[in-house]
Amino acid sequence: MSTSTLPAPPSDAPPAKIRRRVLPSPVTGQEFVLIGVIVALWLLLALFTRGFFSELTLISLVGYMAPVATIGIGMTIIIITGGIDVSVAANVMVCSVIVAKTMVGYDTSVPVLVLLAVVVGALLGLVNGLLIAYGRVHAIIITFGTANLFQFLGLQIFGSNTVNGIPRDLKVFGIGSEGRVLGLPLAFLITIALAALAWVYLRHTAGGRHFYAVGGDAHAARLAGVRVQRRQMLAYVITGGLVGLAACFTIALGTSTVQQNIGSGVELAAIAAVVIGGTSIMGGRGSVLGTVLGALLVQTVSTGVTQLKWPSQLSDLFVGIAIVIAVGADLLRERARKNKGRSTR
Amino acid sequence: MTTTTPAPVATPVRDALAARVLRALLTQRTVLIVVLLVIVLAAFMVMDANGYLTGPYDGDTLASALINLVPLAMLALAQMLVIVSGRGGIDLSIGSTVSLTGMVFGFAYQNWDLPLIVAVLVAMIAGALCGAVNGFLIAYLGFPALIATLATYYGYASIALVINAQKPVTGDRIAALYGAAAQSVELPVIGANLPNIPVGVFYFLLPTVVVVYLIVARTTYGRRLFATGTNDVAGRFAGIDVRDTRFKAYLLAGVIAGLVAVVTTAQFASARPDAGTSGNGMALPAITIAVLGGVAITGGIGRVAGVVLAGLLVVWLNAGIPLAISGNTGPQFQLLALGVVLVFAALLNGLTTRRYGGTK
Repeated sequence: MSTSTLPAPPSDAPPAKIRRRVLPSPVTGQEFVLIGVIVALWLLLALFTRGFFSELTLISLVGYMAPVATIGIGMTIIIITGGIDVSVAANVMVCSVIVAKTMVGYDTSVPVLVLLAVVVGALLGLVNGLLIAYGRVHAIIITFGTANLFQFLGLQIFGSNTVNGIPRDLKVFGIGSEGRVLGLPLAFLITIALAALAWVYLRHTAGGRHFYAVGGDAHAARLAGVRVQRRQMLAYVITGGLVGLAACFTIALGTSTVQQNIGSGVELAAIAAVVIGGTSIMGGRGSVLGTVLGALLVQTVSTGVTQLKWPSQLSDLFVGIAIVIAVGADLLRERARKNKGRSTR
Repeated sequence: MTTTTPAPVATPVRDALAARVLRALLTQRTVLIVVLLVIVLAAFMVMDANGYLTGPYDGDTLASALINLVPLAMLALAQMLVIVSGRGGIDLSIGSTVSLTGMVFGFAYQNWDLPLIVAVLVAMIAGALCGAVNGFLIAYLGFPALIATLATYYGYASIALVINAQKPVTGDRIAALYGAAAQSVELPVIGANLPNIPVGVFYFLLPTVVVVYLIVARTTYGRRLFATGTNDVAGRFAGIDVRDTRFKAYLLAGVIAGLVAVVTTAQFASARPDAGTSGNGMALPAITIAVLGGVAITGGIGRVAGVVLAGLLVVWLNAGIPLAISGNTGPQFQLLALGVVLVFAALLNGLTTRRYGGTK
């Protein structure tokens, strides 16, 4: 993007070309490749397993994808600003245990529970955001630290037990027949809606573009009038809120018991989805569309491994390989882009 | 590394004592850690003397807690090497490297009946291979370290679980290791007045500390490593093979992980496929201790002494907490302490960078 937005030399380009492609194309090359890979995988799985294209398999595939993709949307925004958040798993645990205990102890409705989870999650996100934006410390270090603090908080609320006998209030977010709208899981539809919202926000509003500016060059963004610290903080608060929602999905997908290890590993899964989707870990480049596709790919791999009756732990190996290939392809394209820029200049 | 950071601007001669003490505390991480260590020890000993603790917090407790220091401090030193190598260097995969090399060690020692020293070498080579994959991706192909090691974290953890169908490697020979590793020895000459020290400290931790210290402080490779971490481009102009230097940092980290795998296998009396990844895993605590010990996440700054002292601080703090807080909430407060200390250290790093131009 950087080279194409530079004003062209006056002699060889008409002035109309200057404003050409201020925005990157709506669907990037990485995303086309991902769509192709996912379609190919689905076709292969349909050929080699029985019942991959059954209703149950597909419903659970998109249903189980929802929590990771929801968190991934927020993680994309954070990574675009040049940060990272490894405390989301602990945040999921805190939100889950608070929601679970509320469901067991009080007679509440779904909107209240969701609101509660989102507020709790956003508050914990605010802690991260304040420390990172105003403490001016590297995000990975602070979120390693807050991950420990949130875990402490969550375990204190847990007491020394699991939460048992959770009523099925949140079943609308599950993959059962109660949770379906138009035949698809509601959690999946909400995720898609949120992703679309985030896509438009990041791409077509000034506030959204500011996240890219902060990640591209924080100093230049500040000089251009972007409130850098407020943008950074907002990214963590948004993610916190989405984590709260994802916690509700996670409870709905589980049993009537919430274990203390709920959410563990989701931080790495979300980061994996983001980077497979083509978002640069260096900041300043990326899109939520890629993240949703990345999450879909990861879930497809794990469903596929189960369907093929391979050991389920093998899916992590494929996720690792997918990360290497996706990021490697992105590196190659980045190099090609740089060379092209150099030769035309 | 005093010599790799620019010498601080000469302080005015008439600097007040208090200001100098503050400066030393804030800019020299080893000083700060030693002060914190003294505070922690004094606090727990006072609480012990007044009967607030459920068990004694004495020399024996401290000495037996050292068994936890062995894997933690070794992995923190491994993290130090890769973080110092710069350009966002970090190794998230180190926990799953421990799991995988532990399984390899288990096969080599138990199933293939290799002599112990050969089996340890096999584990170190397996670790070196794991580290070499990281190093190749990061140094030669230009992957961001966070991403490359996230990918290999998944890969190694998965292979470790699948390689033996999720079952640990157990048997008589590995069980015999437990007896050898869990014992404590009396130090010669002065040992009679001191508590017995776990043998792992002598067999694994001290050699690693000495070798890592010699590598970073007494070899040209160490010089190149810090130069690479401080400034890639300047290093290249100075004729350093930046790629090779960075590659070797990840390789060395893998070798250390291989040694840690031997330690944990002996401690568990079995080679567990999730030894380095269960719970929070081993990577996060190792990174925490490295950062607490003054290793700058931006690269080029870090000292062996700071990392080892930070490990001691965490281990002795963790030894005291379950004594002070009864019931099974003790481990939760260990999480709290680790989190508070890390956030505090990170904020302090930010402050010193702005006020004094960095931590040493």
